[in-house]
Amino acid sequence: MTTLRLAWLFGRRSVSARSTVILPVVAFAVVTALLLIVAGGAQAFFSWTDDIAGLYQVLAVIALSLLVVPLVALGGSAARLSARRRDDRLASLRLLGATPALVTALTVIESTVLALVGAITGALVALLVSPLVALIPFRGEPLGMSILLSPLWVAVAVAGIGALAAVSAVVGLRGVTLSPLGVRTRQQAPRVHWVRVLITVGVVALVAVAMTALRAVADVGIVMVVLAVGFGGSIAVLNLIGPWVLRLVASGQARRARTARRLLAARAVLESPKAAWRQVSGVAMTSFMAVFAGVGVALMDAAGDSGDPQSRLLVADIRTGVLITIIASFLMVACSAGVNQAAAILDRRDLYVSLDRIGMPVAEMNAARSRAILSPLRVTAIGSAVTAAVVVLPLTGMSLLLSPLTLVTVAACLAAGVLLVWAALRATRPVLTRVLAEPSPSL
Amino acid sequence: MTSVPAAAPPAIVATALTKSYGPSVALAGVDFRVTPGESVAIMGASGSGKTTLLHCLAGIITPDSGSVSLATATGPLEITTLDEAGRSRLRREAFGFVFQQGLLLPELTAIENVALPLMLTGTDRRAAEQTAAMWLAALGLAGYETRRIGQLSGGQAQRVAIARAQTTGAAVVFADEPTGALDSQTSAEVMDALIRSTTDRGRSLVVVTHDETVAARCLRVLRLADGRIVDEVSAR
Repeated sequence: MTTLRLAWLFGRRSVSARSTVILPVVAFAVVTALLLIVAGGAQAFFSWTDDIAGLYQVLAVIALSLLVVPLVALGGSAARLSARRRDDRLASLRLLGATPALVTALTVIESTVLALVGAITGALVALLVSPLVALIPFRGEPLGMSILLSPLWVAVAVAGIGALAAVSAVVGLRGVTLSPLGVRTRQQAPRVHWVRVLITVGVVALVAVAMTALRAVADVGIVMVVLAVGFGGSIAVLNLIGPWVLRLVASGQARRARTARRLLAARAVLESPKAAWRQVSGVAMTSFMAVFAGVGVALMDAAGDSGDPQSRLLVADIRTGVLITIIASFLMVACSAGVNQAAAILDRRDLYVSLDRIGMPVAEMNAARSRAILSPLRVTAIGSAVTAAVVVLPLTGMSLLLSPLTLVTVAACLAAGVLLVWAALRATRPVLTRVLAEPSPSL
Repeated sequence: MTSVPAAAPPAIVATALTKSYGPSVALAGVDFRVTPGESVAIMGASGSGKTTLLHCLAGIITPDSGSVSLATATGPLEITTLDEAGRSRLRREAFGFVFQQGLLLPELTAIENVALPLMLTGTDRRAAEQTAAMWLAALGLAGYETRRIGQLSGGQAQRVAIARAQTTGAAVVFADEPTGALDSQTSAEVMDALIRSTTDRGRSLVVVTHDETVAARCLRVLRLADGRIVDEVSAR
């Protein structure tokens, strides 16, 4: 009871820190809305029963699985932010003799409440836009209101988001407890082992060989399995090598940096390449998929002209599905980047205040922050696209890979993603302004 | 302690400074001056207004009324009339700061931390790091250039912070509880380093402190209570 009363008091007082409340709520709302919309679309696919329905259902499952990684990343970021912003008050509570269990309970309650508010908002948004989503054409006609999930499934999704927030809050709180000392006692920037490179090169080569062999296989089932394993395996090794590549690139950037903003950005990545990777890993997957999509679109565009009406519809539908998945994925990555940055500003507010004191212009701080995200983002997007091209090349040949339509699709996807993340970063500027305007009393 | 010429023109002159936070009066008409090569300690209980005074003098905040004038090569500059960008530039180019916890960037090396203020003024990194290396050596930290802050002791980190405050050739260095987190032996060493790198080189030093031994190292000690100077002791 005392815990609930304290949680209520904390929640009420935190109204002043608006942006740190709004950001996680918006993030959870986006997660829920996208999840429900995509799940609704998948539900519509599963309502079909004819011969070709199976193919649509497989594609729907692939799209859903692609969204799982950015979705979990965003949920985790939002929960960590709502946990971290309580840092000071929780520390005070600890000093006043609150037990670790009480402190943990308060954090979990607050984060879960914010997540539930966001999730319910997201569910309402999904409901509001459902008439528009219902207009999206698949198989030559609008999806219709079969995209509406039953209230039970919506409740399960909202509860699931709340549970994700609760778990992430516990993990995030552990980070809060450890981070001040962790920063102070950290002596060397963490290193990422080069063995990851060997594994990655090996797996990508293996997948490329498998794709080459695939041209001689006639069984569609085997082709699908090899494609799925190849796709999943490549994405898995991207996660393995990503931090290593980011560290390598940032090391060079730190050495060559001539300006404060470049130096700060490169060092921020070097401080935790894995954290930098986590922020942009959703883009790796989307970028990887953009190449597949680009090639697919070009391939189907070529085939579509001469194909039967059903094939033409399938081509158009896959194009629509890919586009929706890419947009959803980038939206989540952008939200995740914004929320992570807001958390990072709050974590290091004393440092930002001290930089302001020594005369570092706010524009310079913002530029360094943006660069610390956008530089890994560029490396990740391009690196993943190249990896995907290597994997796809044996299957499609160079001419299709370099066809204008492929390149335009890939470039448009990547540009849109980078722009979205950039916009999310800009949205965190008020958090820094607020931190500088209201420094802690000890400063 | 070092002596300064009695007739030296002041580096900073502040008159009739007032500052309130809502109903709470932090400064109630404070006059202040510091000359080149002079060190001034500002003491007082918590809430007496000493940090607010330091922030007004350094252009971190603007007082409600009163003036703060900085001597520059082109004549006196009224700080209180500058906008945020102007005050930020002033802090970057004319002032140095040493904070209680150093507040150095843990992801940067010692030399990068010290070179940072110079890089912010547009100096090329190579030149900035040369100056930074010189200051680190002057403060007994030669050989520590590439160490990260986590690899340094508290006293060493604070000397890095002192070096950082010197690189731009600041006319005035502001130190807010510079030895607050240190033991007495290290505290004495850090104050030696601070005096050596500021007043011994003709720069002004303004120190906010609770520590009488730190204040005793300064030429002048001001005591604040309820936003007013209630006592002033000069070593001269």
